[in-house]
Amino acid sequence: MGLLSGAARGLVRGADRMSRWTSKRGPRTFCKGRGAKGTGVHGRDGKFVQVREMVPELVVPELAGFRLKPYVNYRAPAGADAPLTAEQLFRDVAAPAIERDFRDGTFDPERLDKYGFEPTQEGKLFQLYPKNFPR
Amino acid sequence: MRLSALLALASKVTLPPNYRYGMSRPGSLSDKRKNPPGTRRRRVAVEPISDEDWHLFCGDRVEVLEGKDAGKQGKVVQVIRQRNWVVLEGLNTHYRYIGKTKDYRGTMIPSEAPLLHHQVKLVDPVDRKPTEVEWRFTEAGERVRVSTRSGRIIPKPEFPRADGIVPETWTDGPKDTSVEDALERTYVPRLKTLEEEVMEAMGIQETRRHKKVYWY
Repeated sequence: MGLLSGAARGLVRGADRMSRWTSKRGPRTFCKGRGAKGTGVHGRDGKFVQVREMVPELVVPELAGFRLKPYVNYRAPAGADAPLTAEQLFRDVAAPAIERDFRDGTFDPERLDKYGFEPTQEGKLFQLYPKNFPR
Repeated sequence: MRLSALLALASKVTLPPNYRYGMSRPGSLSDKRKNPPGTRRRRVAVEPISDEDWHLFCGDRVEVLEGKDAGKQGKVVQVIRQRNWVVLEGLNTHYRYIGKTKDYRGTMIPSEAPLLHHQVKLVDPVDRKPTEVEWRFTEAGERVRVSTRSGRIIPKPEFPRADGIVPETWTDGPKDTSVEDALERTYVPRLKTLEEEVMEAMGIQETRRHKKVYWY
């Protein structure tokens, strides 16, 4: 709803207050970004230094012979999978090993990292808490 | 914004608060002609029936109890839940002209008028008479409509899809995943995040770590 349509509608004069204030409006000295993330820093001599870690890199695997396609056949029934919970993951991955060791009598509560327990998130690249990856 | 989301926004119809639902689909040209923006009509009383209690579906065989075609049986073609309406094929019709131009009077066609849900009754397949219907549960736990007179289950009828696709005869195109590929389970639960699994699979080594950052 721009200025002209508003004026034609209700004979209201004045600037268009309802549209977004973007770099396409305003005088030619008004420059504003549209929300792109920066990829570097400005150096002291005025030059722009691009930082490789700030440039997004798409990691795509080899898709030759990949059988999943964008659309699905109409005959496929609706899936009946429950969302994965932490308890389900524990039962599938860690519980069998713990049960087996307990029955054998070799379960040691001090050595839980055998089953995947991480006492601290220090030193990990993708820490779970506080979460340091965007996904 | 994704193209599908943009098109969905464009096609989404915002209706005024006391919009009266008619036979035309809201947002269609005939509806816009009948209810231009700014139209306010008296509210019609509609008996509130929950989705669980509603028992009439497209494709059902029902008998008309009141009106011009009382006593006749027909198939339900359209259900308008907002008015508790049911449109039967070829029954309860009045006649109108279609395709009228300045010189041509148009073709006369019969057009069906809607019936309320209590003006029709579902037909029992056993004796083909109208019957009251209740929602009950089978031994398997499935919720079905049961005729109170004979106890026979009335199954939900098949009705062709509006886009004309018949799932049983669908052949896969170049962009379609087949049924076996879609139902195949290849996920192996592991105690690794997605990013760690991807790095392992692609053979990416990363020994640098983030600097410790404090915030308050």
